[in-house]
Amino acid sequence: MDAVLYPTNDFGPLMKGLVIGGLGIFHVFTAHFAIGGGILLTYFQWLSMTGRCRCARAFVDGYFRYLVLISFVAGALTGVGMWFTTIQVSPVTIGLMVDEFHWLWAIEWTFFSLEVVAGYAAFRYGSRLTDRARLTLLALYSVAAWMSLFWINGILSFQLTPGAWLESRSLAAAFFNPTFLPSLLYRTIAALVVAALSAMVVVNLASELTRPEREELVRRAAWLMAPMAAMPLLGLWFVGAMPPDSREWIMGGSIAMTLMLNIAVGASALVGGYALVGLLRNRLYVNGATATVLCVLAFAATAGGEFVREGVRKPYTLRELLYSNAVRPEQVAELRRTGLTAIDPFPLRGEADLPTLAGRPHPHLRTGALVFREQCSVCHTVAGVNALPGLTKGWDADMKRQNFAKLQRLKPFMPPFVGTPEELESLVQYVTWLEANRPGEWPDPAAEKAEYAARLARIRAWLDEAGPHPAFRRTPEGSR
Amino acid sequence: MDLPFPFALPLPTAFYLTAYVVTLTAHVVFMNYVLAGTALLAVAFARPRPRPGESIAILKDWMPLMLSGAITAGIAPLLFVQILYKRGYYTANLLLFNRWMAILPALIVGFYALYLLKSQWLTRRPAWVRAAVAGVPVACVAFTGYTWTENHLLSVRSPSFWGDFYATGSQVYTEPQLVPRLLVWAFGAVPTLAVVLAWQHWYRGTGRPRSIAGLAGVGLGLVSAAAGGYALAADATTREAFRSPMAWPYFAAAVAGLATQAGGWWWVRTADQFHARRLLACSVGLALTIGGMTVCREAVRIHTLGAARFEALYPAHADAFGKGGLVLFLAFFTVNAGLIGFVFWLVRHRTVAPPPAAHGPH
Repeated sequence: MDAVLYPTNDFGPLMKGLVIGGLGIFHVFTAHFAIGGGILLTYFQWLSMTGRCRCARAFVDGYFRYLVLISFVAGALTGVGMWFTTIQVSPVTIGLMVDEFHWLWAIEWTFFSLEVVAGYAAFRYGSRLTDRARLTLLALYSVAAWMSLFWINGILSFQLTPGAWLESRSLAAAFFNPTFLPSLLYRTIAALVVAALSAMVVVNLASELTRPEREELVRRAAWLMAPMAAMPLLGLWFVGAMPPDSREWIMGGSIAMTLMLNIAVGASALVGGYALVGLLRNRLYVNGATATVLCVLAFAATAGGEFVREGVRKPYTLRELLYSNAVRPEQVAELRRTGLTAIDPFPLRGEADLPTLAGRPHPHLRTGALVFREQCSVCHTVAGVNALPGLTKGWDADMKRQNFAKLQRLKPFMPPFVGTPEELESLVQYVTWLEANRPGEWPDPAAEKAEYAARLARIRAWLDEAGPHPAFRRTPEGSR
Repeated sequence: MDLPFPFALPLPTAFYLTAYVVTLTAHVVFMNYVLAGTALLAVAFARPRPRPGESIAILKDWMPLMLSGAITAGIAPLLFVQILYKRGYYTANLLLFNRWMAILPALIVGFYALYLLKSQWLTRRPAWVRAAVAGVPVACVAFTGYTWTENHLLSVRSPSFWGDFYATGSQVYTEPQLVPRLLVWAFGAVPTLAVVLAWQHWYRGTGRPRSIAGLAGVGLGLVSAAAGGYALAADATTREAFRSPMAWPYFAAAVAGLATQAGGWWWVRTADQFHARRLLACSVGLALTIGGMTVCREAVRIHTLGAARFEALYPAHADAFGKGGLVLFLAFFTVNAGLIGFVFWLVRHRTVAPPPAAHGPH
């Protein structure tokens, strides 16, 4: 139950979610490329050795070079980067997940090791192996890469839908959670699409291939995109398995979520439509420019999808277990009595920039800055993306007090305020001071003692009205 | 802690610490190969007319794979360190912030530079360009090693120190033992490289045992000198840790390993070609040294944390130990280790042409 506070870094104008999201999108795209690329290479090796497509073998060697240079280097290191960035953004989240899933992560590592060894062996020695040995190596690489996805997907989907684990605490229930299967199938198809589109770019870059050979390779690669026909159904399955409140965010409850979902759906529909109608039905050829545009659309679809996947967990990072500001739901009531700033062992940086009161840094602004750091800074900035003063512009002080106290009622994707009425009042003062462009002097909000006490009492009443729980709570019957 | 590692510890803590030490040892072998190997490549490419020696050719060819191996092997200890020392490790990560995160772009740049070293493009460039490109990987790997050491030392400081350090806003941490400690690991990389490189020569039937033994001898001399410097710079807690019942058998094993390596290399240099039995002696010595020093490193960390802080971590270890998945992990570990072995078998036995290896099947 003890809250452990970690040092918090200021990302400047960048929202922390954007940093991890940006890296995550790049990593997911390259990881999908590695997974789908393995399946595509295995398929092409089979085509080549069974005489169905003679030119496939030369293509396999060329394509593998791109796979190794992109996926084995940038893909692998951004994977480690995701881990490190998650620690920077929310060490409590990653700590809880490591505790719960470390053996599953370790299993994933064994598959990743097999993927690296089989991949390098096929790349390095493939040209002098027998066809069957080459096929075996590529198949091993593909299976290992896909199994990496299998394990990571279970851990990631748990964050949104812990499902029966909340009651049973069973690892199997955590892993095979409600969104596990739809997201695994969806990601598998996405991996095939990324690999096929990349293949079309590589085919157009290979000067040694004749036009008929290119046409044949493009046509063969296009078959990997056929499962895109199932994507709408899988998408609906995933949406149906989401918690109801998360579903509301993408259905208009959060404009950013709805917008990013539309980008993902729109870009996927364009790629899917072109693949199913143009490439498979009308057997069109794709030149390098078109293939690159389709790749960019696939990247946009990945970006939109990952943004939504990260965003719909709000107000949690681990559903019903941990809020995005690293506070556990069961800690809220206690911390409203004791305060969060009282247990923060890390001093405030830039204290000297605050106005002074009786010769010392303004105590209310100082406390407000600490509250901002502990509770808001994971999603909001002071003067950059999603800046808090920008969001509260036009609110008077009392509106701020009431809205912060009833935060989860005002915006259900926000966690409840954690802290004492004094801390909330200090946050109001700090945000108002920021809105006023940080003047050198700031009045003492507690100067009128009776009025200040009445103000705190009003805040306490609003906090009590809102309660310590999130807007949507799971009940034995389901969610409400 | 009056018994040798890990017997004085509760089962969950002993289990995770042992897993950490074993996986870290594997990571260190790859890491040492990459660190010393990239340094050797940088020296070779710095010459106006680089001589295409066999060892350099092997290093150039294998280095991207070995860096990939170092990163992959590094993931397992990274997992266990989070279970063992969560708060300290995360706090050090956060305090060093951008400086810490910089190891990722550094490794990506170093990785691509290794591929560039293998390219035909580079052979057509002026000598200074070749030398500059060859210097990039070693700089990137050395930076990563330095940062890890910095992170590790910061992670064992007290919470009040962390608070003071945070207030400064600094992203650089240093203390007197940082450089001596780093030098022990950096020079220790040379004998590791020598052993692995010698096996690679043995497999191919190439290489001059005298020159590799000479390289190993220089490395052993340097690491012994660095260890002496570290002993002088070390504080009382560190010395006490080495002398503790937990660590001293392992320290003795590490020293015995150094002696075994020295004897092994003397034996190797007397022959015209590499022999498996002689290399095995060097390898056993190396395993003793790396394994022993890895345990001593943990003993120093535990002593620095102090009994109260370390024992406060036991409940978290016990809690993690109670989570499921270990049996499943062991099953998949066995299957995938077997499949990795099968990949090696496939590469050696299913070639169209006979393998160009001296010790491969004909």
